[in-house]
Amino acid sequence: MNESLLLSSVVIGFSLIVAAVAFGSAVGDGIVSSKAVEAIARQPEARPNIFTFMFLGVGVLEAFPIIALGLGLYLFFVVSGAPTGIPQVLKSLAGH
Amino acid sequence: MHQQIGEHPNWVWPIVGTVHSDTLITTWGVMVLALLFFAWLGSSYRSPARVRRTQATFEGIVNWLGDLAIGTIGRRGERYVPVFISIFFFIFMLNQIGFFPFKELGLPFGGSPTADLNTTVAYAIIVYLGIWITAIASGGIGAFKHLSQPFAALLPLNIIEDLARPITLSLRLFFNIFVGELLIFVVVQIISSGIHIGAFDLSLAAAIMPFLIQFFNFFVGTLQAFVFTLLSIVYLSLATAEEH
Repeated sequence: MNESLLLSSVVIGFSLIVAAVAFGSAVGDGIVSSKAVEAIARQPEARPNIFTFMFLGVGVLEAFPIIALGLGLYLFFVVSGAPTGIPQVLKSLAGH
Repeated sequence: MHQQIGEHPNWVWPIVGTVHSDTLITTWGVMVLALLFFAWLGSSYRSPARVRRTQATFEGIVNWLGDLAIGTIGRRGERYVPVFISIFFFIFMLNQIGFFPFKELGLPFGGSPTADLNTTVAYAIIVYLGIWITAIASGGIGAFKHLSQPFAALLPLNIIEDLARPITLSLRLFFNIFVGELLIFVVVQIISSGIHIGAFDLSLAAAIMPFLIQFFNFFVGTLQAFVFTLLSIVYLSLATAEEH
């Protein structure tokens, strides 16, 4: 009982982390690219420059969801017992 | 095969202590590879009459990075362009060498050296100290003046911002490459454990994932090498900016 409670809370926590960072980074990426498209439409001759800084923005922005994914996987691994953590969680979810 | 993510085989050296042997050997291999590659590339420049495809391709990349550095720093950024080009190509090659499964074949090296925090911290410190030394060499004591801009009360905030630069530079590169390897590791765990949910074979369905993850890793590795280079350029331009 205690173990399944721990496993389910780890899964829920991991899902919340991934959902939150996916939402945030998707909104951020959308804002960056929409502004880049607007800027290119206004000044087509500045397109290489805008692309450069768009990729800088996207690269800096994408670091945060990836760091959060790393921390979430760390939670997943360590709390549910590395290195067999994920198969164990999936097997318990599958009802083995 | 027992392999755990984030664990490295160690060497104990007399003065420096414990070092990660796989990271070191892979970095040396990439250095040799990069030197050979650029020697070959340089030797193909002997005939200016006939521009080959390799020359045209790499001239485009080098010109683009050079224009970027000169456009951001100004004309006096021209002599730092080789540094940024070598940073970009070296980190790009370090990121992409993890694509080849040397470690999985049982060799004592393999994996991306940039998935080791020691590597990325070393590069971030090199860039940070290099920028400070350049700023002090070009501006003397005036290099510290931008810490008290726009007014002196912001001095502690500016110092924290300055110290946060190498930390974020190293952690961003490290986590991006490390999570790429971690994702492969997780998928391998799922595939190798043979999980069925009812009649659905989850392990078989997960076998498509490494293919997609390698595309993601290639994109992320290129993007992070570029972001590392461009942030170095921006930090150098901020540190050596002329007074208005």
